[in-house]
Amino acid sequence: MEQIKDFINIISAPQISFTAIILLFFFIFPPNDLFYKIHRGLRIHKLWTKGGGITIFSFLTIFFIFGITDQNFRMIVTKPDNVPIVALLYLVVFFLWFSLKQAYDNDKRIDEGKGPNEAEDAKQKVLVWPDLVYIELIAMVSVAALLLVWAVALGAPLEEPANPTVSPNPSKAPWYFLGLQEMLVYFDPWIAGVLFPTVIMLGFISIPFLDNNRKGSGYFTFKERKMAISIFLFFWLVLWIFLITTGTFLRGPNWNFFGPFEYWDKHKLVALTNVNLSELFYMVWQNKQLPSNILLREMPGFLLVGAYLGLLPLILAKTLFKKVYERLGPIRYSVFIIFLLIAISLPIKMYLRWGFNIKYLVSIPEFFFNI
Amino acid sequence: MGNLPESHYKLDKLHMIFALLALVLLGSLGGLFMKDYSRDWKDYQKRFRVMEIEKARVKQDAESITLNEDTAYQDLLKSIEESKKTIEANCSHFETNNEKLTNFQTKYDIENQKYKQTKADLDATRFLLEESKSHHDSDLQINQQTFDTLNEQTNALALSVENLDTQIKNEEAQYKACKAELTELERNARSIMGTQNVIQRKLDRIDPNEMSLANQLANLIRDLPIIDLSNPNNKIQQIVLKDITDDVIFTQIPKVDRCITCHLGITNKDYEDAPQPFKTHPNLDLFMANDSAHPIEEFGCTICHQGRGRGTSFNSTAHTPQTPQQKREWEENYNWERMHHWDKPMFPVKYSQASCFKCHSGEANIAGAEKLNTGLKIIEKAGCYNCHEIDKYTEWPKSGPDLTKIKSKISKEFAYKWIKDPTSFRHNTWMPSYFNQSNNDDDVSKKRSEQEILAMTHFLFAQSEDYSLEKVKKKGKFENGEKLVASIGCLACHEVKPQADEALTSVDSLRRQHGPNLIGLASKTSKEWIFDWIKNPTRYHPETRMPNLRLSDQEAADIVAYLTQERNTEFDNQVVPGMDPIILDDIALNFLTRVNTKEQANDKLVSMTSDQKLFFSGEKLISQYGCYACHNIKGFEDAKKIGTELTEEGDKSVNKLDFGYIHKEHTKIAWFEEKLKDPRIFDKHKEKAPGDKLIMPNFNLSQEEVESVTTAILGFVNTKTVAKKSKARTPENLFQEKGADLIKQLNCQSCHIIEGEGRTIAPSIEEWLVKYEKETEADAAKYKDNMSPPDLHGIGKKLNTEFLFNFLHSPDQTIRPWLSVRMPSYTFNVDHLNMLIQYFQTIDGETRPYRDQVNTDLTKKEYTAAENLFSVENLDCQKCHVVGSKNPSGTKDTWAPDLSFAQQRLKPEWVIEWIKNPTSLMPGTKMPTFFDPDDFENSGPETILDGNENEQIRVLRNYLMSLADKKPDLKEKKKQTPPPPVVPIAVPIVVEPPTEQQP
Repeated sequence: MEQIKDFINIISAPQISFTAIILLFFFIFPPNDLFYKIHRGLRIHKLWTKGGGITIFSFLTIFFIFGITDQNFRMIVTKPDNVPIVALLYLVVFFLWFSLKQAYDNDKRIDEGKGPNEAEDAKQKVLVWPDLVYIELIAMVSVAALLLVWAVALGAPLEEPANPTVSPNPSKAPWYFLGLQEMLVYFDPWIAGVLFPTVIMLGFISIPFLDNNRKGSGYFTFKERKMAISIFLFFWLVLWIFLITTGTFLRGPNWNFFGPFEYWDKHKLVALTNVNLSELFYMVWQNKQLPSNILLREMPGFLLVGAYLGLLPLILAKTLFKKVYERLGPIRYSVFIIFLLIAISLPIKMYLRWGFNIKYLVSIPEFFFNI
Repeated sequence: MGNLPESHYKLDKLHMIFALLALVLLGSLGGLFMKDYSRDWKDYQKRFRVMEIEKARVKQDAESITLNEDTAYQDLLKSIEESKKTIEANCSHFETNNEKLTNFQTKYDIENQKYKQTKADLDATRFLLEESKSHHDSDLQINQQTFDTLNEQTNALALSVENLDTQIKNEEAQYKACKAELTELERNARSIMGTQNVIQRKLDRIDPNEMSLANQLANLIRDLPIIDLSNPNNKIQQIVLKDITDDVIFTQIPKVDRCITCHLGITNKDYEDAPQPFKTHPNLDLFMANDSAHPIEEFGCTICHQGRGRGTSFNSTAHTPQTPQQKREWEENYNWERMHHWDKPMFPVKYSQASCFKCHSGEANIAGAEKLNTGLKIIEKAGCYNCHEIDKYTEWPKSGPDLTKIKSKISKEFAYKWIKDPTSFRHNTWMPSYFNQSNNDDDVSKKRSEQEILAMTHFLFAQSEDYSLEKVKKKGKFENGEKLVASIGCLACHEVKPQADEALTSVDSLRRQHGPNLIGLASKTSKEWIFDWIKNPTRYHPETRMPNLRLSDQEAADIVAYLTQERNTEFDNQVVPGMDPIILDDIALNFLTRVNTKEQANDKLVSMTSDQKLFFSGEKLISQYGCYACHNIKGFEDAKKIGTELTEEGDKSVNKLDFGYIHKEHTKIAWFEEKLKDPRIFDKHKEKAPGDKLIMPNFNLSQEEVESVTTAILGFVNTKTVAKKSKARTPENLFQEKGADLIKQLNCQSCHIIEGEGRTIAPSIEEWLVKYEKETEADAAKYKDNMSPPDLHGIGKKLNTEFLFNFLHSPDQTIRPWLSVRMPSYTFNVDHLNMLIQYFQTIDGETRPYRDQVNTDLTKKEYTAAENLFSVENLDCQKCHVVGSKNPSGTKDTWAPDLSFAQQRLKPEWVIEWIKNPTSLMPGTKMPTFFDPDDFENSGPETILDGNENEQIRVLRNYLMSLADKKPDLKEKKKQTPPPPVVPIAVPIVVEPPTEQQP
């Protein structure tokens, strides 16, 4: 039993779990035909059936039941603030499964030439009473009951009077901001705290303008929108839910990483040996002193970032995203690809950190400007 | 409703789901009510009510039995019966007159109403009249007429009302007079039945069997849910304290204590044996009761006990168990768990005394708080304040001896062995152990410690000044020395105790350990040094607290002979290791690299001789270990304290305390206790360089001592929450505080009783009486108090300020010649003297240090009368009092001060009071009360001065005042100018108060 726990502790380290998730991700949510073939071949699509759903839920539940027997796991999961987050995890998994199940059902029907389920629905008419109002009433009553039971069973997580000389360790943001807080590990505050949230907002705003594919409109489908759904789920599950989960359950005192069965030891110390790209470039690779000129010093970083945002879209337009470019046209393509690249920069930065201990690509502390 | 064909859903199923969910909602709503309604404290209140009823019934039964057996009461009942009959016979005609009275009453009511109405009309008309006057209206005439008529009517009515009233009163008075006897008897009966009535009223209120039907009904429903919002039986009881606050960091909020919601019998004596939470508070004379010093209505509970006063459940009040066993019990019975989110959990009962310090920090001895007093005394004795800043002790002197002339006192070898392990020389020393502790007892550290100690000793001796010692002038005798040590008062502060004993540490035992245990001194120092030291301690150490006992050369030589009799051979045989250049280099290099680069450090090291290395390392080590905090060491005059400030240590939040790898529950108490038991414990399992290790030394405290000190530390808190309850910082209180501090520092209370505390020397006096004076044990026990230094109760009122000043300055008058214990000479500075005098005068309520001069002249006649009073025939003063060289005739246990000092010593007004009524000035005094205060006029001898007691006392006083003169100057005619009247002075304080540190 202890070996299992130790194993889980080790693999839940972000370096390993994040990599594993990325590797598995495109087989579970294939973005193109090639992956889709393998996906079908490995019969992963069975996940989105009733049986698959039961398996996923059983697995999740067994994990929690197993985990709760461990004192450290129990302490974190049953904290009154964390209980609803555990429930949210279930909801995320449920709705993911539920939508994909309908999408796969529809795919099958479309393959058979029947058209999606929703098309059938649209032909029928239902009454406001009882079909809508009754269901709403039932939902209302059940939510009311749920809130009452919750309020009775779990006390409000009140703590001691606030004291400016005592900061809680770890100091955590509300759960919905923990993704952002987790990004702070890898980015300068102005990027993680200002730029990324803005880009996310703008990204959402621009979706209707960028997405001119009418398929899947009004009905669930996966096959017809493989790329779009895959990209969306990548951001949603990997870059948001995963980060929140990590931030909530796996970040302990001093924002150190702790496995789910690990004791939150305040004394745990992790070596911080991060360097900037300029230091790596001049000092490690060329054995030279850092240039005193700021621009010269940060030239490698600027070039790299410039290439990433300036050159890479052009190359992609000619290669991987040729079709996309053709469909969107130059302006919409530029907007799309810039957002996409900024979003992908998050995992890239994570790997740069883990692989090369890179702190910043461009670091100009003189002007509080770091990338 | 039926199944509609259009519906997308199966309606029957939906109905089922809806019904089910509705039930769930109802159930959860019910659950909500249940949870809100069912509270532990309600059950406690119900249980308490049952107990209350039971106790009241028992009491009432007992009371009625007493009443039945009380013949006075029975007689009274009989007389009431008789009186009723008499009244029936005599006053019956008044009954018939009742009709008349009713008539009067009716008339009165009618007339009175008429009067009021007419009066109202009159007032309204007055306004109209006045208005028309001012406006010169045309209807002035009419108004004037109406007003006059109404005025007349009002007057007439007022008269008739008055008459009727008088008539009614007359009638009533007659009836009352007839019934007077019965009324009186009934009142008597009521007063006899008083207690029973109170109990009965209580039972009517709480016992359903005794209630009226309406009340029974109300009793049934008043505690039901929702209805209980009006006036339930069970409700939360709370005490709101406006002048004591809870500190919630950003603001102070009034303290609200709801403890009495469950602790219902806390102020009631009847519940002493009741189970918790109903049990009575111990010591009701001091706490809780309305006439005690801390009434519950003014102090609440959590000001002392801590915890969350607003909580109303076992856990939310932050109860803290006292022992692991109690913790298990609580977990089982109350589902107890620690309330982590409350910074001030309740103190376990054994630490409750900590809170006394909050308000009583200025008092030398906090009555009733023995544990806290012991803890504070240990802190004073161990000198915690030398390293740790503690507000209370900022002006206290260093605890250890002066090391600036150490060369002349001890050898280097002794110093080495002593530093290495002080307990190996003196088992109960207060010098703490720095080495061979839990974080430096491995072989490598031990080797390093040896070299460190060598370096420190080298430094101390290199820094030592020269100090010349003379030869011991006489040849001393061991036996005489032993006797002197036992008799002249050395044992007030020193012990001679070769073996450790198991006696518990207390304030008294620590007074006896004020100075070091005088064992094995031959191993420590030379005869010459001891001789020089005891002859004049301040010569060697100007700030020493060791006083001068004015020893003659022979006495000193005898004592030296006694003290240097014993050696500690085991200690002598310890080996002092040689210098190890490699380790020493490492030590020196370690310090050098702190301020130098490696290369510079190496260069410096190479250029040093080994003596220089020792000196350099020694200096740094002394600075690191903080030796200078307790000892005067040359070169460290301005060094800062090295410990954490402890002034508000009790408030420190637990997450600021590093538990390291010690798996103890994270509470402040656990941390303090562990730290005190083993100050290095939190280094366990840690990898640290030698210079980074914890350095607090080990005082080898016992578990009881640890608890006492922990109590004191828990009491070191910020006092702003109780600022309004604390003693005001008036000059008087400051005199008391400062004086008491000085008295503690000088250990005056080991000889004297001051403020009812002290004289711990008495047992050693008793031993001396048996051993050297050959008294029987019974006699010794009887004599020991009078053979000990005097009780200083009341000396502020009693002694002349000038005498007190002179005596403290140089106590060379022998007031009590029979004592062999000596009042030593202290080297007081003038501040100290003023402080002490102000202290004694303040505690005795003496507001004026100097009094009017009193004429103590006597005429010849008065002198003869006084002599007569003084003589054996009358008061026989010399039976107890020494006069000059003449010893008293009574036994030793009654001997009293030399009266020939009366004039110098005593305030004349005080002597009068003293002779009149000694016990009122000094409870328990041996001085007989010659003039019975209850029958003063007849108490004196009738033959002297016409039996005028006041005169007798006055001439006796004047006689005493003249005893110092060889030939009293007798005046033929008494000329006594009356003293000028006392003019109240606006500013009563004559002398500057000691400076107070403003917070």
